[in-house]
Amino acid sequence: MEGGGGSGNKTTGGLAGFFGAGGAGYSHADLAGVPLTGMNPLSPYLNVDPRYLVQDTDEFILPTGANKTRGRFELAFFTIGGCCMTGAAFGAMNGLRLGLKETQNMAWSKPRNVQILNMVTRQGALWANTLGSLALLYSAFGVIIEKTRGAEDDLNTVAAGTMTGMLYKCTGGLRGIARGGLTGLTLTSLYALYNNWEHMKGSLLQQSL
Amino acid sequence: MEEYAREPCPWRIVDDCGGAFTMGVIGGGVFQAIKGFRNAPVGIRHRLRGSANAVRIRAPQIGGSFAVWGGLFSTIDCGLVRLRGKEDPWNSITSGALTGAVLAARSGPLAMVGSAMMGGILLALIEGVGILLTRYTAQQFRNAPPFLEDPSQLPPKDGTPAPGYPSYQQYH
Repeated sequence: MEGGGGSGNKTTGGLAGFFGAGGAGYSHADLAGVPLTGMNPLSPYLNVDPRYLVQDTDEFILPTGANKTRGRFELAFFTIGGCCMTGAAFGAMNGLRLGLKETQNMAWSKPRNVQILNMVTRQGALWANTLGSLALLYSAFGVIIEKTRGAEDDLNTVAAGTMTGMLYKCTGGLRGIARGGLTGLTLTSLYALYNNWEHMKGSLLQQSL
Repeated sequence: MEEYAREPCPWRIVDDCGGAFTMGVIGGGVFQAIKGFRNAPVGIRHRLRGSANAVRIRAPQIGGSFAVWGGLFSTIDCGLVRLRGKEDPWNSITSGALTGAVLAARSGPLAMVGSAMMGGILLALIEGVGILLTRYTAQQFRNAPPFLEDPSQLPPKDGTPAPGYPSYQQYH
């Protein structure tokens, strides 16, 4: 609490009367250096102003070289692994659907089972590899941008997504690069909005009140 | 980022799957870049295009294989941790063997046994190197044997010289 009032020196008769009985007590010159806070003067026996002893409770003791929060590098492997598993799950379902459709005319037999199993594994692998590659590019760009800028915010997310889309579609010429970049920009912008939805909702309510 | 802490057990599966995929794509990408460069027609433009195409097509497949291996390995490892209630190198070795066996299931029992042995031996080597490295790095923290301040205070021992000549022998 910084609002403790002015620290003017009050050299009134009351102080002289209070210490006058002692005779050899504190003189006015000695008390001039003690700051007075508000109506109550500080005790002259204190060597340190207690206001300077207030600690910042938000601080932590961190090891040398460690960051206060975990960055994108710690999150990268989880992102890539999660995308691989998600792609494998959806790809397997798609493979099961395609396998059943293509083998409709066959009776339940060993070749049909093998065909369906092959379709499931191939579609699962294809989707997992594609989604994993996209997640790898996104995480790599995110880590590079974070280290370059030295900051962590939603701008990194949008920039990494845009770069991922551009690189993924770079074999289609400039038109493909533009379309990929636009797709990445759109998806990551939606994700950033979703991430900040609670915060934005609170701000909107605050503005409306 | 000084120390990469490993996640606890359910999330470790996703983390290891992602880490294995990353290693496979990057490592496979390097090898496929070289192979594509060498297999392309003569001409620097043809070779660079062949290299890029090989990386683009084959690297995700190699990453996918690594991801399957890493994900299954961690799944079995976490299962063993749950069953046995402890974490030690035997979990890793058993997980490596079982992963090799499961992934070779479509090739027949004989291939399963071979892959299980390969996986177990590989993980045993990895764990062995890890244990040796831990022992080596721990040696620098070992305390030196305490230096005796006053050897003459020791009680006389059989076979030692006269009390006038105290022994400075180090005791372990």
